[in-house]
Amino acid sequence: MLAGRAGFATLVLLYAALVLLCLATLAAAGDLSIGRNPWDNLLKTLGEFARPSFVDVWFGPERLEYRSDDGTLLRVENRRELEAGFLAAVARAAWVTFQIATLGSLLAALLALPLALLVARNLRAPRPLAWAAKGVLDVSRAVHTLVFGLILVGIVGLGPTAGVLAIALHSMGTYGKLFAESIESLDMAAVDAVRATGASEAQVFFHGVWPAVLPQFVGHHLYVWEFNIRDSTILGLIGAGGLGLLISEAVSLFQWSRLATLLIVVVALVMLFDAVSRRIREALQ
Amino acid sequence: MTAALLLEAVRVQVGGRVLLDVPRLAVAAGDRVAIVGPNGAGKSTLLRLVAALLPAAQGRVQVLGRELGPGPALAPAARRALRRDTGLLMQGLHLVPRLSARENVLIGALARLQGAQALRSWLRWYPPALLAEADAALAALGLTARAAQRADRLSGGERQKVALARLQLQRPRLVLADEPTSALDPAATQAVCRALCAVAAEPGCTLVSVVHDPELLPLLATRVIGMADGRVCWDLPVAELSPALLRELYGPRVGEPAPAAQPAPGARLGLAAG
Repeated sequence: MLAGRAGFATLVLLYAALVLLCLATLAAAGDLSIGRNPWDNLLKTLGEFARPSFVDVWFGPERLEYRSDDGTLLRVENRRELEAGFLAAVARAAWVTFQIATLGSLLAALLALPLALLVARNLRAPRPLAWAAKGVLDVSRAVHTLVFGLILVGIVGLGPTAGVLAIALHSMGTYGKLFAESIESLDMAAVDAVRATGASEAQVFFHGVWPAVLPQFVGHHLYVWEFNIRDSTILGLIGAGGLGLLISEAVSLFQWSRLATLLIVVVALVMLFDAVSRRIREALQ
Repeated sequence: MTAALLLEAVRVQVGGRVLLDVPRLAVAAGDRVAIVGPNGAGKSTLLRLVAALLPAAQGRVQVLGRELGPGPALAPAARRALRRDTGLLMQGLHLVPRLSARENVLIGALARLQGAQALRSWLRWYPPALLAEADAALAALGLTARAAQRADRLSGGERQKVALARLQLQRPRLVLADEPTSALDPAATQAVCRALCAVAAEPGCTLVSVVHDPELLPLLATRVIGMADGRVCWDLPVAELSPALLRELYGPRVGEPAPAAQPAPGARLGLAAG
């Protein structure tokens, strides 16, 4: 039906029409605004972010006095001690976040593996089983981690367990799709060669399929794991523990300098993990 | 002695084109047969049919005493046993790229393992005797230094040799080799032919190979079958083969006059034999 250049041009036109429709709908509803004074707000926010709270651990005033308008001393703060305590709390929370991402990813990968074997078309699993597995993976991928988290907090209560399960349930769909695709891109000529020696199906799997897909599986695992480190920071917002809890606290109390600290920690965590996982993936080539 | 291979009234057709039409062909156990013929003659189709890679649609195909059909499909156990007894050396069958040369050779022996050894093979844990056998097979082909190398880092000739060593560990009763020396240099061709003969040297082992190089025919075969357009043209002992017969089978070479203009002496003979 859609072939060649005319087909591609039609697709581009359809896409352009869709984008225009979205813009027009938003504009007609008057929702396409950026506030009354975006420029001032932007500068203000940037100014608050420019001095992350952790700087105070070394350079903050040791005796910060809060006074009322008539000069009465209300409260005295040792900024250095206070922020050092906050930093320790951030470290603990980052560790919880990392735990949620790690255990959730591992659980997801283990759950997804048998489903991916059923879904991969070239392994020719029985059709009804393949459909059922594909359905499970599609549902799991379609529902966001946050939604799973909200549901699970109601079931298993507040805390990291809900986070681990939420990550596992959503990532299972991602893993399943990635795993099935690497199995489908397999060199079937090698698999056929193993089968042609009269090896049993299990032997064919462990000698023809597994060695070829294992490095790709590890690569996918590292990728989704890294993704989940970001995702699990959000899970704290709904009470699943970790950095997200501190982020939601900082936002509610308008402590932008602390939010800046938290964001720097998240970015550092993700960058560190990315550097390590890239090394591992290169070594596996 | 039963025939290793028996084809009766076999016809393979794809989209109205006849790929193979063999009224009868029998190969006795222990025979060494080479099939020659131009591209599209049906040589590979014949081999794939016997290897059960193609379904037999019409006629009767019997391999190592088992009926391949048409008719009821073989039971899984019988199919596995037949695969184990049939050694294939074909272009569509690769090495497992990320396994070492030695591990690829050991794959040949998988079907021989029983019980706990078969379970251990899932973890690529093999009995020492088998490891020694694999090393010996690689050494015979001059690949000792490359045994630990990953298969995707081997050259084309080395891969073919590893596939042969794998075949050797399989200990097949019937070897089907489709152009085993294509894309190999002369030295590698010699080594591969020698190894192929060594595999087929087991008593009762049958070797059926597709070859183009006339010089290799006496090495690999005692009997030569000439095919063209899906049909068997002639079926002769290798001693009775003449260059003229081969020339006629393959048609005129580029730059040579067509046989109609200048008939070769063996042309009429070849047609009569067919």
